[in-house]
Amino acid sequence: MDFEVNYTGEQQRFRSEVRSWLEANVPPAISRRPTTDEESAANYRLRRELGRKLGAKGWLYPLAPKEYGGGGMDVDHAIVLEEEADRFELSLPPYYNSGGTLGAPTILVWGTEEQRRTLLPPIYRGEVRVWQLLSEPEAGSDLAGVRMRATRDGDEYVLNGQKVFIGSDNGTDWMWTLAATDPNGERHKNLSWFMVDARLPGITVQPMDLLGAGESSARSGQKNTIFFEDVRVPASRLVGGENNGWRVASTHLELEHGGGGHIGRNRFWHALLDYCRNTTRDGRPLVEDPDVRDTLADIYIKAQVGRLFGLRNFWLTYAKQPKSYEGPQLSLYMKLAGLWMTGAILQSIGPEALTSDPRWGSEDHFLEAQQRNGIVLMHPGGTADIQKVSMARRIGIGRATRESAGKVS
Amino acid sequence: MDLSLNEHQRMLAQSARTFMQRRMPKAAIVALHNTDTGYQAQTWSTIAELGWLGLLIAPQYGGGGASLTDAAVLYEEFGRGPLPGPFFSSGVLSALTVEEAGTEEQRRRILPEIAAGRQIYTVAITEPRRSWGPQGIAMEPRLDGDKYILDGIKLFVSDGAAASHLIVAVRTGSSDDAISLLVVDKRSRGVAARNLPGLLSWQAEITFEGVEVAAAALLGRRENGGWAALSRAMQRALPVLCAYQVGSCQAAFEMSVEYSRTRVQFGVPIGRFQRVQDHIVRLVNHLDAARWTTYEALWKLDSGRPAADSVHLAKAVTAEAHMEACNAAHEVHAGIGSVHEYGLTPHTQLSRTLFNYLGDPKWHKRQMAAALQW
Ligand SMILES: Cc1cc2nc3c(=O)[nH]c(=O)nc-3n(C[C@H](O)[C@H](O)[C@H](O)COP(=O)(O)OP(=O)(O)OC[C@H]3O[C@@H](n4cnc5c(N)ncnc54)[C@H](O)[C@@H]3O)c2cc1C
Repeated sequence: MDFEVNYTGEQQRFRSEVRSWLEANVPPAISRRPTTDEESAANYRLRRELGRKLGAKGWLYPLAPKEYGGGGMDVDHAIVLEEEADRFELSLPPYYNSGGTLGAPTILVWGTEEQRRTLLPPIYRGEVRVWQLLSEPEAGSDLAGVRMRATRDGDEYVLNGQKVFIGSDNGTDWMWTLAATDPNGERHKNLSWFMVDARLPGITVQPMDLLGAGESSARSGQKNTIFFEDVRVPASRLVGGENNGWRVASTHLELEHGGGGHIGRNRFWHALLDYCRNTTRDGRPLVEDPDVRDTLADIYIKAQVGRLFGLRNFWLTYAKQPKSYEGPQLSLYMKLAGLWMTGAILQSIGPEALTSDPRWGSEDHFLEAQQRNGIVLMHPGGTADIQKVSMARRIGIGRATRESAGKVS
Repeated sequence: MDLSLNEHQRMLAQSARTFMQRRMPKAAIVALHNTDTGYQAQTWSTIAELGWLGLLIAPQYGGGGASLTDAAVLYEEFGRGPLPGPFFSSGVLSALTVEEAGTEEQRRRILPEIAAGRQIYTVAITEPRRSWGPQGIAMEPRLDGDKYILDGIKLFVSDGAAASHLIVAVRTGSSDDAISLLVVDKRSRGVAARNLPGLLSWQAEITFEGVEVAAAALLGRRENGGWAALSRAMQRALPVLCAYQVGSCQAAFEMSVEYSRTRVQFGVPIGRFQRVQDHIVRLVNHLDAARWTTYEALWKLDSGRPAADSVHLAKAVTAEAHMEACNAAHEVHAGIGSVHEYGLTPHTQLSRTLFNYLGDPKWHKRQMAAALQW
């Protein structure tokens, strides 16, 4: 076994190239958590600009195929990029874009050659941001029950319906969605998957104000309700065939449920440890308080187990090993750990963890943001309980037949 | 990065699994639970002949010179039984302790006996009403010419009844870690072993009454280096123990999945009930947490990386995981799970017995924090 990426001389050379490029191109202000809407918008512009520059070099989606605008790199080089971006507290892409992380792999698996050529390059080069539009007022966990209608009319489909909990602040360029093309058809065989231009007439975006988990934490968290009124989408934007949308969606659902895995440093943990070293109570650093130390040990252990689950899933994906329940397991673990941690932190840090006040709260109120996000992140991409449902099916106990993991490549 | 076992390890796992199926089926394991020592002489010698007892011992001392990960793969299969008996106590913990603490002459004399299974060793550390750690060791031998005279009691000595020899941790100075290790032949006059009854499996009380031990039996031939040597040995032995527990969690998981597919209530297999699924999900999460923390620690040790924090982490996680995994399995099985004959209870008893063994989870978490220099 080998739990580490082994760097070759060539990778080290690549690392120094990446590092100097990032040093020259990442604006220092980019990693500050915005506190107002204006700051959020400005920050988003900086991130998109950086994204386009990275995209032009094939560094935004290093693993994606070169012929469609990706980096065409192997995992070993992609890891170097991720690690170097992480030094600037950035991920790739450096902004919220489910288009690249979830939508694009779906198009790779299910799209026609023509669709790959037209839809993928703008995503991989950072020219467009894409949101995913799945949930509806009447279809949350039961995603297969979506009611948005798509009716064929000549070379177009006409979309009508409403999506909720979508996207973030600062708008989007494209959106993909699941709609019923055969409303009276058999469940799982009646949906189709569309990539839609967000500027088409008939689309209205109405902000929803959430407790947390926003793109920028400017206020708390912004999601949106999106109304579709006779939106005419070219038939060429239907991916994977009419009434095959449920199978198409299984690809990004698998990825969203942790199936892709991840590697990387835990920024939150390092910030927390620094906070406990640098903050005193009754004249003593928090890290020296035996109760705080015990809690920190438990937090650290959860973070390590989460890291190992992510590493395992990452390896399973890139070594093309069979997967079963591991994706939803990672997702469930992180959700439960996040919620548990809100209590553990409140217990050891105190009310300072609850304020975003720059004087008495934590730097960039990272603790206050965790207090919100730990609660809210229980739900996106399927609730914690839904992750258990998926795990059970894949373990082979939830249903008469064992369910297999979604196709991700 | 490669998280798979190598070819050799896969073969080792396969032969161990076949061995367990043939020689140690569930009924045999349940039957062993009523014995004092937890092993059959015949199985013991077969395992020694297969080279599994001395797997970790260096070839020049009659062992297999295998890596810790190799040993872990074997012990994971043993844990699926779970195979009881003094395999870990003698072949892993004692062997590594002799290797770390002994002089060259002592290694040459003792290790081949352990590898061949002719002598069975265990380590005696804990004392009545004392905490875990060097500060808890109070038994102080009297030096009488070229002999030590030992009086006192060691408690919770794993495989104390099965052992032929004991490595006894004693106090030889006033500073906390002034500990020395004495090798005591259990047949020596004044030594008595008594298995502790109850839920605990195969842990003994060992009484020493005026026991004479030659000064030459001091491991390393120098006093006060015992705790440091024992700590080094435990660093290497603990992840192998954890792998044994991972195997036990894996068995509890497989039993629970199988049962939830076949047990029918209200007209459906109980696995359809989300409450039952919750138990199985909890179980597999603990199993995997134990598995990956354990194998990462092993990888660090085998590749010469600093591993202290990972070892303590793995031990803390695994002890808790083992207990929780068994609890979840009992919930899935309800009544039948408590019937000894069914085969879940050996896992449960083991999870409890090993919970505090060689340090409880809280102690290991604190050691982890210290190793990380918080
Ligand atoms: C921060 C955030 C970001 C989001 N981002 C997006 C996005 O970008 N795009 C998008 O499309 N959606 C998004 N969502 C929506 C999210 O996917 C849904 O909230 C989620 O799938 C749950 O649906 P629901 O809220 O309607 O809850 P419901 O489905 O109504 O669930 C309510 C409760 O019932 C339980 N439940 C439901 N079915 C079962 C079952 N079969 N077995 C057991 N328990 C069950 C649930 O676990 C939950 O406890 C986001 C949500 C949040 C909070």
